[in-house]
Amino acid sequence: MAGDIFSPIVMGILLGGLYALIAMGLSMVFGVMRLINLAHGDFVILGSYIAYALMTFLGMDPIISLVICMPAMFGIGFAVQKYLMGRAFAISAEAPLIIAFGIALVIQNTNQILWTPLSRGLTTQYSMASFHIGPLQFPFSYLLDFIAAVIVMLALREFLSRTYLGKAITAASQNKRAAHLMGINTNLVYGFAFAIAMLSAAIAGVFLGMTFPFTPLSGTQFLIIAFGVVIIGGLGSIFGTLIGGLILGIAQTLAGALLGPATQMLIVYIIVLVILAIRPQGLFGR
Amino acid sequence: MRSQISKLTTGWLAVAIVVILLILLPVLNAPREWMLYVFLFLLFLAMSNMWNLLAGYTGLISLCQPAFLGIAGYTVAIGTWVQIPWWAGLIGGAVLAGIFAILIAFPVFRLSGVYFAIGTLVVPEALRIVFYLWKPVGGELHGAGAGYMIKDIADLTMAHMYWMAFAVAIISAIVIRIILKSKLGLGLASIRDNERAAASCGVNTFWIKVYPFVIGAIITGVAGAIFYLYQGYIEPSATFNVRWTMTLLLATVIGGLRTEGGPIIGTIIYVFLYFLLARFAGISLLIQGIILVVIMLLSPQGIVGIARTTRFYRYLERLFSARLIKE
Repeated sequence: MAGDIFSPIVMGILLGGLYALIAMGLSMVFGVMRLINLAHGDFVILGSYIAYALMTFLGMDPIISLVICMPAMFGIGFAVQKYLMGRAFAISAEAPLIIAFGIALVIQNTNQILWTPLSRGLTTQYSMASFHIGPLQFPFSYLLDFIAAVIVMLALREFLSRTYLGKAITAASQNKRAAHLMGINTNLVYGFAFAIAMLSAAIAGVFLGMTFPFTPLSGTQFLIIAFGVVIIGGLGSIFGTLIGGLILGIAQTLAGALLGPATQMLIVYIIVLVILAIRPQGLFGR
Repeated sequence: MRSQISKLTTGWLAVAIVVILLILLPVLNAPREWMLYVFLFLLFLAMSNMWNLLAGYTGLISLCQPAFLGIAGYTVAIGTWVQIPWWAGLIGGAVLAGIFAILIAFPVFRLSGVYFAIGTLVVPEALRIVFYLWKPVGGELHGAGAGYMIKDIADLTMAHMYWMAFAVAIISAIVIRIILKSKLGLGLASIRDNERAAASCGVNTFWIKVYPFVIGAIITGVAGAIFYLYQGYIEPSATFNVRWTMTLLLATVIGGLRTEGGPIIGTIIYVFLYFLLARFAGISLLIQGIILVVIMLLSPQGIVGIARTTRFYRYLERLFSARLIKE
């Protein structure tokens, strides 16, 4: 019995890394611009599809394809912020949300037209491999997810605390007006913040694609997971994001092991609703 | 003054003639496609009106409308399996949608703005899984928790459903009118503009938001149930689908958010697009998404927003509000 519980918990911890990775971009955009990017899940899936395209046509390894995938998503993110979101903020409070919703649909359906609604996956030799802890076997791709999440998290923390741009982003997220008065070009900073969020979405998309099969419509599911991670972990806290990811990951794999695989996502949705009802500012939020 | 009154009557006369013609459409032996166009227009209009009430006038971007129409639709469908007549199912569905709205109001109304949007997005996603797993009636043959046929509605003709849709659309328009003219409308506007200030002036911001939410749920539910009566079957993935949300959003945003005429104009255009793009199923939603983004950026108040700047619109406005200035 102990083994039955141990295995889903380890899986959940590793899966939690992937969830934290997916949520990081959402958390960043929310923290800096106070915008829930309704298209975030679809941007992550877009990252998966870019890697998939590079793998099928050029035979590129998914992790190596990040070299192309990351700058591409960075550019897309910067353009979206500059030409769509940036203008939307000036219109009204609900405009950015509606526009993000429109972008989500555009991405979903573009993916659907280009790649058909079939389920795809970034299968490589190492993503199919497994490793052992005692007698138990775990997929190697889950371990990769976790490692990637930790690396991205540390890199993001160093970036935000050490570079000029990182400090400018932090300043703009704390007080846009004051940052502006201090000579920070806040519009440019917003553009970079969104672009960096998309860069992390690209990484998340690649590792997601190696772990799970994805379809053009998977975005909504991962948006809700990412949102759950952000509200559990609280805003702007990189460490909280990791904890949020772990909680959701473990809850999901435990539910899958104890109640059957069909309930996995339902448990996640219920947790999100319950936390919203009890502590909308997040378990670790101020 | 007399000329103004005669202008006023011409304006309302035109509206009355159009409405009566539309009501008589089934009796006049109109082509079936025409009736279908108007039927869908009426249902979408009722739902868009309710979405406009929430998003436009209260500032609540609700993404859980599919949940309400799905719950009401499922009530009707499952009801017909246990010998509950469809009309009782329709009433029951409306009540259940309303109760469900009150239940989810407690978690989602603790959130505002952006949080609210995602909080509501979760609801239909969760319900889709619930209705996949939960199979109250029917044997194995009818699919594993998937769809239900609606039984015993042979006596229900297209004309009946058409008139029901008409009633719902008219009721939705009247409800909006009444709410906007009442104290509740003022309260909603105050919440939209500044919730904290409204609360500190003694507006009970929780309950005042629950009213439009529940009213919206009931009317959206009835409209959805009529749609599924027409369709004859219901299944989870198309019901609790973001496509429904998109319909309401697009119709309202194209026409003009926060305008009474917006959903009417927007829904006419949406139904037009719906049939025009039906042949290109794949790119239909893509085009809709692009339209949504472009309209929102270029004219946040939609077509009504653009029209407002023209002389013709001001003329129409004078025509209909002549009563107020006849002194």
